Amino acid sequence: MRDSERKLWKTPEQALGALGAPSGEFPEGAQEAMELPEAGPSRRRFLGLLGASAALASGSACSRKVDRGPIVAYTRKPEEVIPGVAAHYASTFQEGETASPVLVKSREGRPIHVQGNDEHPFGWGKAPLRATADLLGLYDPDRLRGPVVDGKPATWDVAEGRLAAGVKDAVAKGTQVVLMTGAVVSPALASLVDELGRLIPGLRHVALEPASDAVARDVAREVYGEPVVARPRYDKADVVLSLGADFLGTMDGASQAIAQFAGRRKPADVGSPMSRLWVLEGSMTLTGSKADHRLALRPSALGKVGFAIARALAVRHGLPLPAGLTLETLPPLDLGKVAAECRLDAKALEALAGDLARAKSVALAVAGPGAPPEAHAACHLLNAMLGAVGATVELEPVPRARQLATAAVLDALVADLGAGKVGALISWGVNPSYVWPDAAGWAAAAAKAPFRAHLALSLDETAAVSGVVLPVNHWLESWGDFDAGPGLTSLRQPLIAPLFDTRQGEEVLLALAIGLGARLPGDFHAYLAGLWQQGHSLAGPVPFERFWHASLHDGFVRRAIAPAAPPPLKPAALVTAAAAAFQAVPAEGLELQLVPDSKVYDGRYANNGWLQELPDPVSKVVWGNPLSLSLADAKRLGLALGDEVRLEAAGRSVTVPVLEQPGQAEGVVTLALGYGRAAGSVAAGVGVSAWPLVGTNPASPFGVGPVKVTPAGRNSRVVRTQEHHSLDGRDLAKLWTRAEYAKERGAHEEAPVSLYADQQFPEHKWGMAIDLSGCVGCSACVIACQSENNVPVVGPEQVERGREMAWLRIDRYYEGSPDAPRVVHEPMLCQHCDSAPCENVCPVAATTHSPDGLNQMAYNRCVGTRYCANNCPYKVRRFNFFEFNQNLSEVRDLAFNPEVTVRPRGVMEKCTFCVQRISNAKQVAKAEGRPMRDGDVKPACAVACPAEAITFGDLKDASSRVAKLAGSDRRFHVLGELGVRPAVTYLADVRNPSGEGTE
Amino acid sequence: MHRHDRFVRKIVPAGAVSVLATVLLVGYAAEPDRYTRGFEPEQPVHFSHRLHAGDNHIPCQYCHTGPSKSRTAGVPPLETCLNCHRVTRTDRPAIQQITAWAKSGKPFEWRRIYSLPDHVYFDHRPHVNSGIACQECHGEVQRMERISQAMSLRMGACLACHRDPSDALPPGSSIKQGPTHCAVCHR
Repeated sequence: MRDSERKLWKTPEQALGALGAPSGEFPEGAQEAMELPEAGPSRRRFLGLLGASAALASGSACSRKVDRGPIVAYTRKPEEVIPGVAAHYASTFQEGETASPVLVKSREGRPIHVQGNDEHPFGWGKAPLRATADLLGLYDPDRLRGPVVDGKPATWDVAEGRLAAGVKDAVAKGTQVVLMTGAVVSPALASLVDELGRLIPGLRHVALEPASDAVARDVAREVYGEPVVARPRYDKADVVLSLGADFLGTMDGASQAIAQFAGRRKPADVGSPMSRLWVLEGSMTLTGSKADHRLALRPSALGKVGFAIARALAVRHGLPLPAGLTLETLPPLDLGKVAAECRLDAKALEALAGDLARAKSVALAVAGPGAPPEAHAACHLLNAMLGAVGATVELEPVPRARQLATAAVLDALVADLGAGKVGALISWGVNPSYVWPDAAGWAAAAAKAPFRAHLALSLDETAAVSGVVLPVNHWLESWGDFDAGPGLTSLRQPLIAPLFDTRQGEEVLLALAIGLGARLPGDFHAYLAGLWQQGHSLAGPVPFERFWHASLHDGFVRRAIAPAAPPPLKPAALVTAAAAAFQAVPAEGLELQLVPDSKVYDGRYANNGWLQELPDPVSKVVWGNPLSLSLADAKRLGLALGDEVRLEAAGRSVTVPVLEQPGQAEGVVTLALGYGRAAGSVAAGVGVSAWPLVGTNPASPFGVGPVKVTPAGRNSRVVRTQEHHSLDGRDLAKLWTRAEYAKERGAHEEAPVSLYADQQFPEHKWGMAIDLSGCVGCSACVIACQSENNVPVVGPEQVERGREMAWLRIDRYYEGSPDAPRVVHEPMLCQHCDSAPCENVCPVAATTHSPDGLNQMAYNRCVGTRYCANNCPYKVRRFNFFEFNQNLSEVRDLAFNPEVTVRPRGVMEKCTFCVQRISNAKQVAKAEGRPMRDGDVKPACAVACPAEAITFGDLKDASSRVAKLAGSDRRFHVLGELGVRPAVTYLADVRNPSGEGTE
Repeated sequence: MHRHDRFVRKIVPAGAVSVLATVLLVGYAAEPDRYTRGFEPEQPVHFSHRLHAGDNHIPCQYCHTGPSKSRTAGVPPLETCLNCHRVTRTDRPAIQQITAWAKSGKPFEWRRIYSLPDHVYFDHRPHVNSGIACQECHGEVQRMERISQAMSLRMGACLACHRDPSDALPPGSSIKQGPTHCAVCHR
């Protein structure tokens, strides 16, 4: 098929041809004056209005002979600080059970950017999206300024006194003391909790990670007889089978998975080996969007399909079953019959089995949180049959301290609370009042605890019902150590002294322990270093001080560990699971998939404007969580975008707007967790909380079915950036199979001949190459760009009008039928065209071309005609309609990058290729007396990309990586036929489907 | 008299004169150099550059350590003063004053003299590292009892030198021109 015959589309309406005209060059309301909602302005809207009504900032160019403010000198300058030069410190970001080593950029002692630790020993040193975004969490104006006791501000002495008294009281009465925390992946914290356990008889530690995959843990424990966690190695796998596992998107550790996976997906030439990804899933996920073969089916059938594949491997391909299992013990699940039952293509499933059988130990099967337990069991069986355990899947025992509370533990906790057996309830890092599915039940039970203390960053839902609220440090203000992988401990060091009167959570526990008579240091750093020193004294000859400082510098400590032999499979557990899969009857009606949100996770980041305004990688929705459903279901129920429905399961219900999602399996609806918060000036009221529906199916908390969907007869706003900045109707992104790659490579567009003389670039010509094969659409680059370049948050009302400010967006195109589309993600940013159409039309020459190939934008010259944005074929220019970045709180201002202008109202802005980094790299090279080298300049997006899909450099230097990529036979320029000569080269997205003779 | 005569002879010239006067007046009032050059505020401590940089020949970068490695030249920390003044001239009230401040750890505020607008990113490194003397922009600091702004901070002043830096550069420098595109300073 020729590219010109291929239609890329963004919305189902376009695919179906329902809309004759291209939708919304001007989004609704784009030309209208802003109107106040009747209910009064929200905080975000208020900020916009405040800016709008403020007079234009007076020119600061001519500072008069009046006071120009002070210059504050250091009294004693820290040795490592050079004012004006950024320093990077290693630290650790932890979320759920995943700890990621990161580097934090600091200017004059204040953290301004978070990126991955590029010295990560496994080479997956990329910061997760939310690590970069959580910089805003540090500077969140909603953070608590000090302890709160009984709703009134209090001193630490009072608050800690109350905490100690509450615990002593509970102990004296012989009742339990419950300590609820998030996952404990820190050895030091685990030791501290043990310490408290010795001091407090009846201490009950409950580690709660509400969004983590409980099913996977339970099944692994049953199948292996002990708590283990399976760590897939996507970098080692030639064939990956995902049973509803969104490992590139919403699952824990996605940034590492992307790094591993993408390394196998960027063919250097047509013969390069590539891995193959098979995805069977109900919702449309990022992983599904990168699949070579994607089969949409109900998640409840995943177990059946999994066991049918296992059986086919044994029967047709002669793969041995693990000891204790025979064909007779497994139910007769025939691949063909299962395919027919699930309405799947039997040939595709046979090809999948063939692929797995050929790859053997370099194949890998993985199941996701929404999949039923049988699907997880099937994956363990498949991996064992393939010999993948130890090769592409590493089984790691879970130490006791790291074990999370099971559903049974949580039920017992509520029962004990309700029975008045708990005298003190201390929660830290968890927000049970928000995430507890049966919120009313929890509230009633928790109210029976006579003493409740909550350690939190801000006044969240749980703080509202706790007598003592102790404000804790943000992770950028804290010490710590974290298990970050086999033999790897990642260290956390504070980047800044606590901004407010807060203490590190561990220190609160230390103070409690000391109050109960323990002889411990009150300072957590001393405690942490003490523990390390104890372990160190047995180790090498290096003095501890030196070891400690060197380790803090590196950010991690490595230990050699011998890989443990994987425990044997328990056949009985597999037989039970297989029987359950066999008996599973496809549910009638609709089934629901609940997923942690790709942006705000379980809701803990819901107060983060950057994340709220980041378009969902698949649906492109911002500021909310509509219910995704298939086009067929939407048609059957008569629903369109934004129509509200009542979603009911097991007596609980929520009301949400809907969104038709191409590629969604018929009969499956998907809803993201993490929205509908009651607390937080940004978070409150955005979206709908899906927590009430979690666990209505006890076997699989995130895969719920059947659910009842009833139209509510109302309509509410669903804001998405999908149709904004539309470039549709043109050949914009190339998605090739390997056969097409072989056929079409090298067939590049010819730029029209120009009548003008070519631009001259005497020294450098900066350029970028973006490999669409590597790009999975995760959007880490978008957040990194926002943080680096002071890109404002504008709020849903403005996004709805097409006024989002992101300099870098990821366009997501579908191709093929709306029921089973293929997807391509295309990062889109200023292309820095040599013959830039924007430059010609600027009446004041505010945008011009630099001699090193940048399309430069002088904000102070811009008068805001917006001609340039109109004339930009890529729609990457952004206009400040309001003073979005002014009038922020004093603490929020600290997050700004001092190397980039904070743009005022009325000016255009756009990607600069991080010119501040180019300028700095140039000066560093000059000072070192050397020419610039390839890799000296790395824009924020390229640094953040976990897939290493973005390469930046000098196109004039033929040996640079970017110049080589720009000559790749997969290269194309978006809209190259216009002759604007973009400096960004894209490399076609190549997929590796089976059956093309390229195995 | 023709009925337009009065208009042509009186109103038009008067109008022209008043327009011209307005332009000149506004131009004069808005001319920033008048406001900026020669700005010489009183500092909280009387520090004489004439004595330190002039009479005692202390090099600029002994105290202002930044310009060869950072965008900003930097104001020395109080500790730098005390490098010498722990022993020299400890009888002077000003020295006793800064010693007290240094002991208390209280941040010390100088009055700012050179102030660039927020959208200008000046970088000391290329200038200092190519051998341009500090005095080219900051004036004869070694003769100033109190620092006063020597250079105009209008873009024209920057560009004039970038177009022809031969006077500012040391003899024999290979540099012919400074860059003049927007993104050099504006980003």
